[in-house]
Amino acid sequence: MSAARVAVVQFPGVNCEAETERALSRAGLEVEVFRWTRAPRELAAFDAYVLPGGFSWQDRVRAGALAAKDPMLDELAARAADGAPVLGICNGAQVLVEAGLVPGAGNTVRRGAARSAGAEDESVQVALARNRMPERTGYHTRWVWCRVEDTPCVFTRGLEPGTLLPLPVAHGEGRFASAKKGRVESLVAAGQAPLLYSRADGAIADSFPDNPNGSEAAAAALCNARGNVLALMPHPERAATLGQVSRSIGGAWGARRDRALAAGDGSAFGDGPGMAFFHGLAAHFGAPA
Amino acid sequence: MSADGRSLAQAFIELLAEDPEAESALAIARGRLAAGRRLGGLRRVRVFELAGALPSRAQVEELLHRSTRFYNPAKERCTVRAAEREPVPFKPEEALVLVLDRGLERRPAGERWWKHETGEKVEVREGTVWALAFEPGEDAAARAGELAEVKDRRHGLFANPHFQDWRAGEGAHPPWPWLERPRKRAKEDRP
Repeated sequence: MSAARVAVVQFPGVNCEAETERALSRAGLEVEVFRWTRAPRELAAFDAYVLPGGFSWQDRVRAGALAAKDPMLDELAARAADGAPVLGICNGAQVLVEAGLVPGAGNTVRRGAARSAGAEDESVQVALARNRMPERTGYHTRWVWCRVEDTPCVFTRGLEPGTLLPLPVAHGEGRFASAKKGRVESLVAAGQAPLLYSRADGAIADSFPDNPNGSEAAAAALCNARGNVLALMPHPERAATLGQVSRSIGGAWGARRDRALAAGDGSAFGDGPGMAFFHGLAAHFGAPA
Repeated sequence: MSADGRSLAQAFIELLAEDPEAESALAIARGRLAAGRRLGGLRRVRVFELAGALPSRAQVEELLHRSTRFYNPAKERCTVRAAEREPVPFKPEEALVLVLDRGLERRPAGERWWKHETGEKVEVREGTVWALAFEPGEDAAARAGELAEVKDRRHGLFANPHFQDWRAGEGAHPPWPWLERPRKRAKEDRP
């Protein structure tokens, strides 16, 4: 069986395409960086899509706002409606949210109306707003714990609910927010939040720094109702190997990192926690889990 | 002077060079959004509003120029409006859209700097003004309103209503004050 083809969609200003490509290849997928100069219709030749992190269009107007209007997003929306997996990481997540693909069609609020009309609901229903942090503003980076929730998400389907993953975040605008009170909570309740920020013991993060940006309902990621489109704020591609796991991380992942580094036999290049998402995508296309 | 007796000043800050952010927004608005098809020009102007016990206009200008908290004089120009009747850097025909990050308009670093330099406590707020010039015959206010608030990929650009507010203005007479005025959001207005 041939590997599924994944397009890593790059807009100008995106800067995580190389490590994203490596992580996907490592999972056994066939990968190609698809730059903004190509015709959007060529995206139809791929089976899945990843929008990597960075600063598309220099975050002009607002993070993700300009890339969200690109004709490539119309093509991605069509492919997503056909069931193709689409993953947005950090700036990619901001693009998907600004484009209305997440939470997208069949969401909990307008599910009935949208489905009965046979229409896709691509209204912008949430934002990735500026971080809210005590005594500081702007860009913030750290390793955080994320707890896997029970959702239909393609990228986390292979993980047991309750699994804890240490992952790095690095953003200035990563706070899931909605003008409608309770909207993000309702998406979490509806099974559209595959990852929640947590403490190291697995309890949901209720404050900074465990919740690094003030995200409503501690949401670290939101997906569409079908589970094939995921807006993910942490960077799994920066946690693709054990050796990349931060020294600030303890627990089982920290112990594995320490053993691998101490062994000095290359085992530090073994799979890190971020690979779960890319293996999840490969498993969706039939690779052994 | 504001309604509560405090002095008020608005500082409008523009890049000296062409603004790539405005250029990109103009291209997207014209090329991708129906309300922007007849948009002929677009400028981005950062605006600070200071309220409190302010010194003279010249001293406000000097303080803003000296601090790194407000603008970079090597790259930007600043126009201070210290009274409602004073000139503003907008054309009368421009429709204005002020965008504010809800709950994050205040600039504590600027307030701390001002207190350190002058001993006075002032409130500092910051927003972004988009100045839109449409082709003749277009209903500028209506089209600016359509471009102001994002609804989906094909409608709206400047403010995401889930964390930003926007307020309209006219180039001939921008509101005074503008940033500190709370905007009431009608229920049917909400997304």
